Amino acid sequence: MDKIKRLDSDLLGRLLKDIEKPGRYINNEIGTKSKSPGTMEDFQDLILMALVFPDIYEVGMSNLGLQILYEIINKHKCFSAERVFSPWIDFEEKLRKEKVKIFSLENRIFLDSFDLIGFTVQHEFLYTNILNILDMGGIGIRAVDRRNRFPLVCAGGPAIVNPQPLSRFMDFFVIGDGEEVVISILQRVKKYRENNKDKNWFLKEISRLDGIYIPGFYRFYYYPDGRIKSIEPGEKVKKAVIKNLNEFQIVQDPIIPNIKTVHDRFAVEIMRGCSRGCRFCQAGIIYRPVRKREVGSLVRQCIAGLKKTGYDEISFLSLSSSDYGEIGHLLDKITDPSKHGRLSISMPSMRLDSLNLKLFELIQSGRKTGLTFAPEAGSQRMRNIINKNIEEKEMLDCIKMAFSSGWDKIKLYFMIGLPYENDKDIHEITLLVEKIIMAARERLSGKKLARLKINISINVFCPKPFTPFQWVSHDNPGNLDSKFDYILKNVSKRYVNINWTDSKKSRIECALARGNERVGEVIESAWKKGARFDNWTDFFKLSVWEEEFVKAGLDIDLFTRKFSVDEILPWDIIDIGVSKDFLLKEYDRARECL
Amino acid sequence: MTEQENVCETRIRFKFYKKDEFKYLSHLDISRIMIRAIRRAELEIKYSQGYNPKPKIGFSPPTPLGVESMAEYADVLLEGNIDERTFKKKLNSELKPQMLISEARIITEKTENLMNAAAVVLYGFELHICSSDNKGMPGRFYTGLKKDLTTGPDFCNSIFDLKIITAEGSSDIILLKLFGYVKIFKEENNEIFKFNNFYGFFENWLKKYCIDIKNVKKEELFVLCGGILKTPMEVV
Repeated sequence: MDKIKRLDSDLLGRLLKDIEKPGRYINNEIGTKSKSPGTMEDFQDLILMALVFPDIYEVGMSNLGLQILYEIINKHKCFSAERVFSPWIDFEEKLRKEKVKIFSLENRIFLDSFDLIGFTVQHEFLYTNILNILDMGGIGIRAVDRRNRFPLVCAGGPAIVNPQPLSRFMDFFVIGDGEEVVISILQRVKKYRENNKDKNWFLKEISRLDGIYIPGFYRFYYYPDGRIKSIEPGEKVKKAVIKNLNEFQIVQDPIIPNIKTVHDRFAVEIMRGCSRGCRFCQAGIIYRPVRKREVGSLVRQCIAGLKKTGYDEISFLSLSSSDYGEIGHLLDKITDPSKHGRLSISMPSMRLDSLNLKLFELIQSGRKTGLTFAPEAGSQRMRNIINKNIEEKEMLDCIKMAFSSGWDKIKLYFMIGLPYENDKDIHEITLLVEKIIMAARERLSGKKLARLKINISINVFCPKPFTPFQWVSHDNPGNLDSKFDYILKNVSKRYVNINWTDSKKSRIECALARGNERVGEVIESAWKKGARFDNWTDFFKLSVWEEEFVKAGLDIDLFTRKFSVDEILPWDIIDIGVSKDFLLKEYDRARECL
Repeated sequence: MTEQENVCETRIRFKFYKKDEFKYLSHLDISRIMIRAIRRAELEIKYSQGYNPKPKIGFSPPTPLGVESMAEYADVLLEGNIDERTFKKKLNSELKPQMLISEARIITEKTENLMNAAAVVLYGFELHICSSDNKGMPGRFYTGLKKDLTTGPDFCNSIFDLKIITAEGSSDIILLKLFGYVKIFKEENNEIFKFNNFYGFFENWLKKYCIDIKNVKKEELFVLCGGILKTPMEVV
């Protein structure tokens, strides 16, 4: 094996001069677990994995999945995982100018010295950052161009359940839960390295594991219009699933960032999967089945974790926290009444109704920061179509109760561009907002009313793979813009703030999410034209994306159109654990609501 | 003071450094790291009353990002009785080697908070003479320095005093000790010593003497006590 190369620490000092937030690049947090052998030779005995989160440090360090894998790998005496994040624009410029390759945080090992590089991909707009990181590591971005046995390059996470758009760049993909399979993979990497086998041997070895998709082993055949004619071989790749969440303890001593991150708190996953069946929601399907942590041991692990980290905020994560049966018991055991207000608790994705508003107040321990509701649609008809089981009356009652007990900030999430949506559905969004304002006028005193703030977030619905709506079309930007204009014109501005997603950007997102392997060509050329950090509004280059689709001879409409239920979809090669028949049935049931 | 009155809380002033990689962390980062370390060390920090209780800890004025400091100070109020040695030992076992407590002392009498009391800050510069003709340079530089820094309009409001020491064994290195006001025009304008601005000005100014700043470090902080400069540790 080639010698492992590292960045000299003096050089790092010089590179960091005049760099924004240098704390992103300095490592040395409490809780780092990578092996730190005394000499470079000692590194040779370890299988080194780079865990890459293709966004900036503050975002990546807020991701629980990264901390989970980091701990599992580093517990193993033969393996060592180090972190790599996207450098911010200024540091990338500096590294490229000084011809310094991207390096890991812990031991500042250059990316091309790792045995395995694993990207965790949270959304489609990180695709270009992945190519950028490989390129900054001096590594060929396409799998076929990487002739050396190392490094191996793979990707996992929710945005690769349809692996096709990235398939030309990856040696393999990991679909599903990573906890067990990552160790199985690393054991085979070790064998591959020690026995000097060829890459094909390695790929065949891991292909026997659940969750491993190797693009090189499949061929796609197309009709002239771009639809898929067949995939060979046809055998599906089964998602990796851990059966019992309790066999894996929560991360009790995570890496504690030195600088402020997006979610700077002790994060605990209480439940994986969601039992609600919202038809637009990808997470609700791909993280199935529902697995809950046993409350007794969870309490013990949380208390130990808070002690080990010194955090004063804990976050209970799941896709629907109010569905965790023992939530009251959990909160009761974690909070110490004698230390009122010293521990903050956050619980995203909690379904609010008048029953648990009291619970929510308890969580906030007196602070009334804001209440978030996600009706998603304005009309009951539309909420039935998308299977969002929330009644307007129930929600309004809860909001009224909240106003009465002094809350004056409300956040609402809506989607537009949903299937079968009509003008009336859009109109009802404005009516619902009016009803909330009315409720506030009735219940808030003059002073409080003046402070009332209703933040409305309007997102464009983007059909995603493995949902009952995977076949529906993406609404066209013209329609979307007029729907949005209607809402803007008909909602009273006095108390309301509205923000929205760009309809044309959402169209690109849809094309990436539902793309086939040829979309990889577009991602590559868009990246070459400077696309990166596409999720940041300031950096998103719409014209570049549109032009590159044209240049590749691909019509964006091919990916945003309505798919026929009997056509082969790019992601059909993956068995996500939920059958296509089930999704079809749900799609039919949506239509029955019309 | 009787013994009974003395048992419920302990106020401690401590001095710590931030060096190496930790010079890249901001004042807010450093205070967050310190508070979490106190919690991990199971030192019970006292909290303020009210809806949004805050830990009772106060830090000395910020050191600019990218500058090492040997003289960061904080006052903390803890539950119960604890001696300085235990405090220092417990806390240091929860901190990284780049940021450790060097000294801790129990505060017995009322003292002004560090942010307000800080009067003068001492920065040590390691300067390198780049020109090949060094003879007489330190002398000329010193005269120029004294004149521009203590009377020139760009600097004189920031600089309280300065000293120059020639480094032993090398005629190319000058050690400059700059005593800057923490607050400029204390009454009218409560600005904290604008080191970042000063640093930029100073770096440019040094060019005319072909001198580079090799290293800079915050070395000490002083408070005014009866008209004399004392370190924050000397007044408790």
